[in-house]
Amino acid sequence: MFRKILVANRGEIALRVLSACHELGISTVAIYSEADRHALHVRFADEAICIGPARSSESYLNIPQVISAAEVANVDAIHPGYGFLSENANFAEVCEASHITFIGPSPAMIRMMGEKDRARVEMGAAGLPIIPGSDGTVPDEDAAKRAAAEIGLPVMIKAAEGGGGRGMRIVRTKRELIPAFLTARAEAEQAFGSPNVYMEKLIERPRHIEFQVMGDRHGSVIHLGERECSIQRRHQKLLEESPSPALDPATRERIGRQVVDALRKVGYSNAGTVEFLRDHSGNLYFIEMNARVQVEHPVTEMVTQVDIVKTQIRVAAGERLEDAVGSFEARGHAIECRINAEDPDTFVPSPGRITTFRVPGGPGIRVDTAAYADAVIPPYYDSLVAKLIAHGRDRAEAIARMKCALAGFVVEGIKTTIPLHQRILADPDFVAGKFDTHFLEHLAPVEAK
Amino acid sequence: MAKKNRQQAGGRSEIRGVDLAEVERLLSFMEEHGLEEFEYEASGVRIRLRKASATSAGGARPVAAAEVAPSHPVHAASAAPAPHASPSRAAEPAVASDLHLIKSPIVGTFYTAPSPAADAFVTRGSRVETGQVLCIIEAMKLMNEIESDMAGEVVEIYVENGNPVEYGQPLFGIRAQGKKK
Repeated sequence: MFRKILVANRGEIALRVLSACHELGISTVAIYSEADRHALHVRFADEAICIGPARSSESYLNIPQVISAAEVANVDAIHPGYGFLSENANFAEVCEASHITFIGPSPAMIRMMGEKDRARVEMGAAGLPIIPGSDGTVPDEDAAKRAAAEIGLPVMIKAAEGGGGRGMRIVRTKRELIPAFLTARAEAEQAFGSPNVYMEKLIERPRHIEFQVMGDRHGSVIHLGERECSIQRRHQKLLEESPSPALDPATRERIGRQVVDALRKVGYSNAGTVEFLRDHSGNLYFIEMNARVQVEHPVTEMVTQVDIVKTQIRVAAGERLEDAVGSFEARGHAIECRINAEDPDTFVPSPGRITTFRVPGGPGIRVDTAAYADAVIPPYYDSLVAKLIAHGRDRAEAIARMKCALAGFVVEGIKTTIPLHQRILADPDFVAGKFDTHFLEHLAPVEAK
Repeated sequence: MAKKNRQQAGGRSEIRGVDLAEVERLLSFMEEHGLEEFEYEASGVRIRLRKASATSAGGARPVAAAEVAPSHPVHAASAAPAPHASPSRAAEPAVASDLHLIKSPIVGTFYTAPSPAADAFVTRGSRVETGQVLCIIEAMKLMNEIESDMAGEVVEIYVENGNPVEYGQPLFGIRAQGKKK
């Protein structure tokens, strides 16, 4: 087992990884930018090293600084968290070359899943249902016209190196096609460094359903059930739950098995999430895979009682899945609300000093946060303040507990999306489990009291 | 109706159960007896008072820093904050106001000389020009030469040879002087 791990991240996920390390008796090293000097992950780690100024590119994304810190602190392994360097295959390779274990999938797997068009083709070949689409990237305007004709409008143009919902364009008419194609390429180049795009049939009003997987270094892969993440704003997830109200046991069983078989075939290890879109007929189509631990992993942890981060560390250290995970059962229902430092109506970011921070508790409530009273939410990083998770014996109880918890979560000094989550949970369609990724657009506007 | 048993505060001001008058008394006590560091724990409160000069290389202005650590952790914390050891420094050096600090631009290991057998690039009292190499910081097997960004005299060297340094850590204190003839 590792002696010492460096956490190459910040905020709540850094704290999460620190907890897992401490539970396993592993000593910890935090890295931080100058803007995070007073952050909790710095204070709770056994050692902490400042690696740069506030800007991510000069600190958390600065590979030489991160590796240098790992060497200076003499760590055995690095956990990259999510975001930042977690899906950077080059970083994973540099770790290996420096004789530091990267806690995550292999560089080859990260690379495969990072090239979204390639992942689509490989997962299709490995047996997963995929959305009808272009065979790889669409290199030029003629290819775009041919692909659109074959697939049939409406289509979605997506950045090959994109992900997280960015770099996507919808095309409904022939006239829109080439302008959208060219703009998408320009945006993709800007955002991801590559203009490559691919094309898929547009699934109207889909539901976003994803399977949590875990593989060890001995060829075993399991899945830990699915999550539904259809409540999104501009493709950014706001609320997630498990199990999905839209999946019946037979479909869950069938897709789960296909996912595990496909990942065993390609030789996947460590944590990952396989994302699908479900159309109105109930068909599931693979869209992409995230080769890392995800923000919403607590939802699965609450339902299965499996500690995903500890398991990541254990399989990275060479343990077999049957020892690292053992047997487990899905029990009850869990919901997570992402509480962001944003205006709940306009979504304008609201960084600043938190003056009051009262966290709810009680049965079935979990809060993952690095915020505290008097903390300053810096403007340089994402706006996530806290993840509030509620678990209950069934969906109704989870919803009831979440409503109470939201009402008891007091954050002052900054604006948060708590009021928005309260509106979502009060919505009859949400309560009935009837929604898709367009839900938020149609949420009833705020009524004046 | 039962009366609640209340402790008589008696005019003392408090922050989170810490009696400030008591802290002032402790500070005078420390000055009187020439103490650099003082720590005590009582009634679930731990107080540690430490002069900046207690841990710096050449302290100019000693400042008493009071840390109050409640024994019962705040709900957001999973345990009382563990003290962390950054690579080499125990505390910020107290710096005289006329010294210009050369800070580390990278994380790595600090070396005063180009090789183990060679003489140090500079020592205390060395006069340096802008652009002159002061030290090497090794990061990922690469030797990075750190140059002075001003001319002057090396007054302080804050890091020992072979110790790790982090981003922004003070390495040298340089006092501005005219150019060498």
